[in-house]
Amino acid sequence: MQLKTSLRNVFRNRRRTAFSLAVIVVGFVILVSVLGFVGEALQSTKTSLADETGAVQVGSEGLFENSSTGYDYLIPPGQLEQVVAIVSTMPGLVGVSWQLNFAGLVGDEQGSTLIVGRGIVPCSDVQAYECIVSSGSPFEETSDREVILGVALARKLGVAPGDRVNIATGTVSGNFNAATVVVSGEITYALEALEEQLGLFPIAFVQRLLKTDGVERILIRIDDVDQAEAFAFELQQHLQSASIPLVARTWKELNPSYASIESFYGAFSGLAMMGIAVLVFFSVLEVLTISFLERSREVGTLRALGAGRGRVFGSFILEAAFLGIIGAILGALISVALVLVFNAIAFSWIPPGAAIPQSIQLQLSPTVIIMPILTVLFSTLLSAIFPSWRNSRIEIVRALQSV
Amino acid sequence: MSSDSQFCHEKGLAFLEARSLTKTYQVGSSAVHALQSVNFTAMQGDFVVINGPSGSGKTTFLNLISAIDRPTQGEVLIQGVSTNTLSERQLAQLRKDKIGLIFQSFNLIPVLSAAENAEYPLLLQRLPKTERAQRVQAILSEVGLADLGKRRPNELSGGQRQRIAIARALITRPKLVLADEPTANLDSETGAQVMDLMRRLNEEHCVVLLVVTHDPEVARYARRQVRIRDGRLMEGEGS
Ligand SMILES: Nc1ncnc2c1ncn2[C@@H]1O[C@H](COP(=O)(O)OP(=O)(O)OP(=O)(O)O)[C@@H](O)[C@H]1O
Ligand SMILES: [Mg+2]
Repeated sequence: MQLKTSLRNVFRNRRRTAFSLAVIVVGFVILVSVLGFVGEALQSTKTSLADETGAVQVGSEGLFENSSTGYDYLIPPGQLEQVVAIVSTMPGLVGVSWQLNFAGLVGDEQGSTLIVGRGIVPCSDVQAYECIVSSGSPFEETSDREVILGVALARKLGVAPGDRVNIATGTVSGNFNAATVVVSGEITYALEALEEQLGLFPIAFVQRLLKTDGVERILIRIDDVDQAEAFAFELQQHLQSASIPLVARTWKELNPSYASIESFYGAFSGLAMMGIAVLVFFSVLEVLTISFLERSREVGTLRALGAGRGRVFGSFILEAAFLGIIGAILGALISVALVLVFNAIAFSWIPPGAAIPQSIQLQLSPTVIIMPILTVLFSTLLSAIFPSWRNSRIEIVRALQSV
Repeated sequence: MSSDSQFCHEKGLAFLEARSLTKTYQVGSSAVHALQSVNFTAMQGDFVVINGPSGSGKTTFLNLISAIDRPTQGEVLIQGVSTNTLSERQLAQLRKDKIGLIFQSFNLIPVLSAAENAEYPLLLQRLPKTERAQRVQAILSEVGLADLGKRRPNELSGGQRQRIAIARALITRPKLVLADEPTANLDSETGAQVMDLMRRLNEEHCVVLLVVTHDPEVARYARRQVRIRDGRLMEGEGS
């Protein structure tokens, strides 16, 4: 009956309850939007970073610590085979690939500029992005004297797919080498600054250019990026027991900026939750204070009949809990509907520093719904404590005299 | 008057005693002597009507007896125990188990149905559901509202509301029932019905009944009358 009483009291003054619920629902929707946006932003940053670097990489310590001189960090073909064999047995693996990178000059008779060359395994499962060229075509399987240029670099050089460019760089032993390649396609790249320097080559070509049969790093893709730490840890143990002098690194270790992005978004979400908590707290506090005070006479009556302070306090808290629960349920339903509609519309924008427009999607994960539920429940209950406490301690005689 | 009810076994024992009961309100710099050194004893089964002019201290007197207010001086003893010695929690327990209260404006809880209002004190006593249901049914029949239990207070007439309030006061089978102007908000016919009911309950359940009233019609029901004037209590009718 206490449950029933409190629940009926919630709906006693419909207009006031509607106001409280509206505040809770609006706060809820705002919070879901913020958390959904943040969740999606983090998720897409994470996926694009992990796509770029692989979830886990294997290379020499000197490569990752930047302590090598020249090309002495290269992995010889024998070790590459061993690592690939080990990795292939591990669960969760999607694909494995390898890279050999260099810096050099690109140009023709008209002039030349810097190029960051990436020798990659064409269209591997790990980095398939050279397959999605914005103009021209991906690498042909038969030819390896090709390059895919960043759109901005191609523009700078004034070349188009089908044209030839010259590449010059130093070999692993420090000699000079050069070659002519055909521009097979152009690619847009998430970072504009890199798009101006990027050139993708089949790795076999880069190995001939640098006069080596080694590779720089091994890239591993797994089905769940969040398992990268565990995967890297296990791989590291396999490497050690096979006495291979290489180390495994996760995408997070390779992209130290991710941690700061994550903590920035964390602080942002925290602020939003606090803001909504404060908003709900003060709105509900005001409403409850009025509607509880209006019931002084009833409180006096119940106390006179022998109800203890605890019971009175509890019944008011219970009432606020019902208000919070109803608000949370409404908020959850309404915001899920709004997010689904929003995601279906798929607004797009160009994130700062990016070249390609992305559609704004809001994440709908359990966290995105649970955190707002906890926030509104917490602040509704918190706002009920003081008015409930005060009403439970009201002097009975005075309460009975009030109208 | 059918005074000697066969159900009233313990008749002749002092149930309630007020000793030099005094209540003084401080209003600004002046003191209001609402009650001055009142001595009063009620026996088991007594039906006492208290009258007196407005502002004479009648409500104050009832409030001190039901221990919803504390005296400035003196004490109230219920079955020999001074309420001054009891904690807030014990006082709540005393009211819940031994005292029934009837208010001038009924004070029903609007969100509860008539039956739920009557049931409420049993809930405080933590009685099992089936027993609560039985007692509610019985008391509603007794006050003649067996069919109206599902209605909310605002769907009842004044007399019906007061009868529900009486049911609520009696459902715990209290030993003491205090009523402050129970008929003031009722027409004279309904008032008479309510008083008939109260008298019957007094006789059949052997409760000590203290009824404050201005109404001489109501006063006729009592076995004993006292008068309060300027905070002092006098035995008998005199005006
Ligand atoms: N809380 C209070 N503060 C100050 N004075 C009070 C308070 N309550 C009652 N009084 C005063 O005490 C006196 C007695 O009041 P009480 O309510 O007991 O009178 P009453 O006999 O019940 O009157 P009525 O017949 O009008 O109900 C009055 O003078 C009243 O003004
Ligand atoms: Mg009065």
